[in-house]
Amino acid sequence: MPTCRVLCMFGRTFGCGRRPRVGSLLWVSLVLGGAASVAAAEAGDRAAWLGDLTPIERGAWTASDAAHLLERAGFGATPADVQRLLRLGPKRAVRELSRPRRGASAFVHSGIFDAGLDPFPPSRPATTNAAKRDGRALGIDVKPTGNRPIQPIVNKFFYWLRASRLETDRVAYWWANRMLVSESPLVEKTALFWHGHFAVNEDKVRDYRKLLAQIELFQAAGLGNFRDLLLAVARSPAMLAFLDAGVNVKDAPNENFAREIMELFTLGVGHYGEQDVREAARAFTGWNYDGLRFAFDPELHDQGAKRFLGHEGRFDGEQIIDLILAERQAADFLAAKLYRFFVRDTVAPELARELGRRLYELDYDVGGFLALLLRSKDFYSPASRAVHIKSPVELVVSTYRKLGLGALPGVPDFNVVTGSLGQRLLHPPTVAGWSAGRAWITPSLLFERGNFVQDVLFPDIGFVPPDRYPNYGGANIVAVQDRLRAGESVASATRPAGVAAGGEMAASNAMADQDEAFNTRLGSMRGWQLAIERVLPIPRTTARLDLAGEIRAAGAVDCAAVVNYFERRFLSVALEAQVRRTLSDFLLAQLGTDDVAAALSYAEEPLRLLLHTMLSLPEYQLG
Amino acid sequence: MVSRRRLVGALAAVPFAGRAAGAVRDAARDDRILVVVELSGGNDGLNTVVPHGDDAYYRARPGLGIRRDALLPLDDHFGFNPGAVGLQRLWQRGELAIVHGCGYDDPSYSHFTSMNFWHTGAPNSGRRDGWLGRLADQLAPAAPPNFIVNIGAAQSLAVRSNRHVPVVFDDPQRFGRRALASQRDALETIPDGAAANASAQFLRDVARGGRAAAAEIRAAWRDYKTPVDYGLAPLDLPKVAACIASGFPARVYYVSFRNNAFDTHVQQAALHRRLLSYAADAIHAFVRDLDRQGLGERVTLLAFSEFGRRVGENANRGTDHGSANLMLVAGSAVRGGHYGRPPDLEDLDGTDNLRHTTDFRRVYATAAGPWLGATPGAILGTGFEPLDLFA
Repeated sequence: MPTCRVLCMFGRTFGCGRRPRVGSLLWVSLVLGGAASVAAAEAGDRAAWLGDLTPIERGAWTASDAAHLLERAGFGATPADVQRLLRLGPKRAVRELSRPRRGASAFVHSGIFDAGLDPFPPSRPATTNAAKRDGRALGIDVKPTGNRPIQPIVNKFFYWLRASRLETDRVAYWWANRMLVSESPLVEKTALFWHGHFAVNEDKVRDYRKLLAQIELFQAAGLGNFRDLLLAVARSPAMLAFLDAGVNVKDAPNENFAREIMELFTLGVGHYGEQDVREAARAFTGWNYDGLRFAFDPELHDQGAKRFLGHEGRFDGEQIIDLILAERQAADFLAAKLYRFFVRDTVAPELARELGRRLYELDYDVGGFLALLLRSKDFYSPASRAVHIKSPVELVVSTYRKLGLGALPGVPDFNVVTGSLGQRLLHPPTVAGWSAGRAWITPSLLFERGNFVQDVLFPDIGFVPPDRYPNYGGANIVAVQDRLRAGESVASATRPAGVAAGGEMAASNAMADQDEAFNTRLGSMRGWQLAIERVLPIPRTTARLDLAGEIRAAGAVDCAAVVNYFERRFLSVALEAQVRRTLSDFLLAQLGTDDVAAALSYAEEPLRLLLHTMLSLPEYQLG
Repeated sequence: MVSRRRLVGALAAVPFAGRAAGAVRDAARDDRILVVVELSGGNDGLNTVVPHGDDAYYRARPGLGIRRDALLPLDDHFGFNPGAVGLQRLWQRGELAIVHGCGYDDPSYSHFTSMNFWHTGAPNSGRRDGWLGRLADQLAPAAPPNFIVNIGAAQSLAVRSNRHVPVVFDDPQRFGRRALASQRDALETIPDGAAANASAQFLRDVARGGRAAAAEIRAAWRDYKTPVDYGLAPLDLPKVAACIASGFPARVYYVSFRNNAFDTHVQQAALHRRLLSYAADAIHAFVRDLDRQGLGERVTLLAFSEFGRRVGENANRGTDHGSANLMLVAGSAVRGGHYGRPPDLEDLDGTDNLRHTTDFRRVYATAAGPWLGATPGAILGTGFEPLDLFA
């Protein structure tokens, strides 16, 4: 079981997942950067570091710097992580966080794919039309006689839609687990950056294998050379499928792919013309995929001369990419985007130019550039600290990491939580990826972030696993099943019983059911049954916590000390005295005494209420 | 049948009986409210308001064209889709403006991209804020709380503002913090002093705004009772009506028919009719509901889709992504009628698509300028003249 391996690996390195090893309060205080006065003095000296790309010296490197690095280059940290990193010094620390490691857990496939599914038709009508034409589709023969001869094919069509989606949810779980436990979190963090940069969405790609390959590419090559990565992405089935490369052929070029490469991946709007888009589209004609491989068809490729960004020649796609990257603008664009993701939302124009120059001089070596950023004095200047609004994935993973968990809980569901907060992995909202920073926050989403913490600390006993119960048009599909089981005819069981609000899927299903060769509502139901049978379940463990044990180990003597401990352990921003007082008064009222040691036997629930309250503070959203 | 070309020239905005033409509005402009309804997926405008007087329509849609006798009567050139009963009712009361041929240059046929253009109100620009966000920034630069409401699972790009924090929620009953009663006081504590940095300050402002808005919106929804039937898919418009009726201070509301519902490539006819009936029912009910409470003159609703669909039907009795489309503006203050020149169904561009006749930003400018009293040029760029659409 991958979860087990993950747990063991984590256990060796960081201490047991269930009971994080922590030292005394004094020790924590030292490790996490000392008193506020020290931080203030530090801040004063460091104001001049803003915009300074020279590396921070080892002597100046503090525990709070190490915590800051882990927050940004990784997904938060336990005190033990911080201490380990502190000992390494800034240079080795950055190297450790980005070191490729053997033995990182690989995705365990459920085994839902078979060769008949490739190539998967673009739609249900395309599938049934093919079946009628060829007598076979998706690897299944049409029944020679009898009722609904195409039904098994329609069942399989829906099976794959459901199964691929559910398996994609497992890919997201697997990846988020790696974020949580990785000893090289910068690898995963950078992969997350690239996932937003080279956004592809399961809803359109409809093949978890292509998406998985994309994430594995980001993990393996995300810190390498950008040209290699860009080329690999441009040739990846996920991106080719997502940007309709299959319809980009000689004599009918489709500009989608060429446009996005320039607009979103390299140059940004305004640094190329429509003519460049058209010419680049010609250069990419004939690029397609075959299953999980890149496929180039010279017959469909336009070998004519092109005029692109002021150059002329019989360019192919790879040469187009080289011409783009020869532009300084490409380096400026990417450098600024990396900076905004890892350091600060805003970047001064002169610093942006300097960053672009550095990346260009590094010949687009992403790992080298990030090392420069993450060691720079600018990164450790006060203006860069605790100003980053955590993305939903960062929030959720770092909350688990700070709680010391060794594996991602199954309750609440990771994908549902991050989705409701606006960042469902492998489902970015648009080709432009996610918007960052303040765009993550709305009033209701800020509440939802606090509600997530409640779901972790007080697991919902009414939880229904979305990968076991059809939550997509669910009630209708289950009703169809129940009527069939009760012996109703297919026609009667699948008759739509009024369409629920917004339920366009059910409506379109009802429409298509005029064809007696198959019944789509029956297919939808069978598709769910088959998918649930084959897709491995996500383990629905809850976070097992022992906050009282931690407080005992930390030696917190009174309520104020408990608040102080949680503050240092979870928050990047120092709380005001007034807030601390409110919180410790709250705990005092819950415990009925300020003698925390004497209250430990019944302190678990009050401590969780306190922690829920603290992690619901606006300040907890900052990293 | 009347020749389409001849008729187009004669089309003009004509106030209809059923409402007092030129009614005097007492409401000052700063009381007025704009509600934007997004019909996502690319609503087929040609089968929404059907040009039955144009033979080219039937030639292009031999299977999908709706026969004249099946249409809901509109006038001697157009008829409504049989599902659009609500739109017909609004039309008959002179409360519906149909703006024909809306689009933009170099149209995108991607849902994502084109919707992005409609959200930003700035096609092919790479802008990252929404036109309603910029509108709010201009109308209320001090960014008072609760100025923009967006009902939906996520915030729309259309309302992304540089100053305002839109109130975004889905289920009003769930809009709020889950917490035990004993935690409430501690949870509600947000210090008044300056926060540690600008990000922290922003979060505090949102938290404060959310705390204020959530209680009001939960109460507004809890207390709202209406006899008006919004139909099967009310598009969140009853929630908007509840907010307006409660006196909630928002002046911009944004809702959508979600999940790309109008993306009708296949076997479109009955599905499209049903979708339209939901949308039309809801829009009509919303106008009636406000009217009933004496709020009608303060509220205008604008409905759009990211593109229309091709003139010709496809091989699957559906339609593919197209370009020019109609926009709808509804409300008691609206002067009902046709606006904009319907595109010529036979004069297609190089990609077999309709040529737009009205830049959609002119309709935005109409909502921003004449309706809400903003200066549209600063929001949308210059050259988008508002339509004379309000009485």
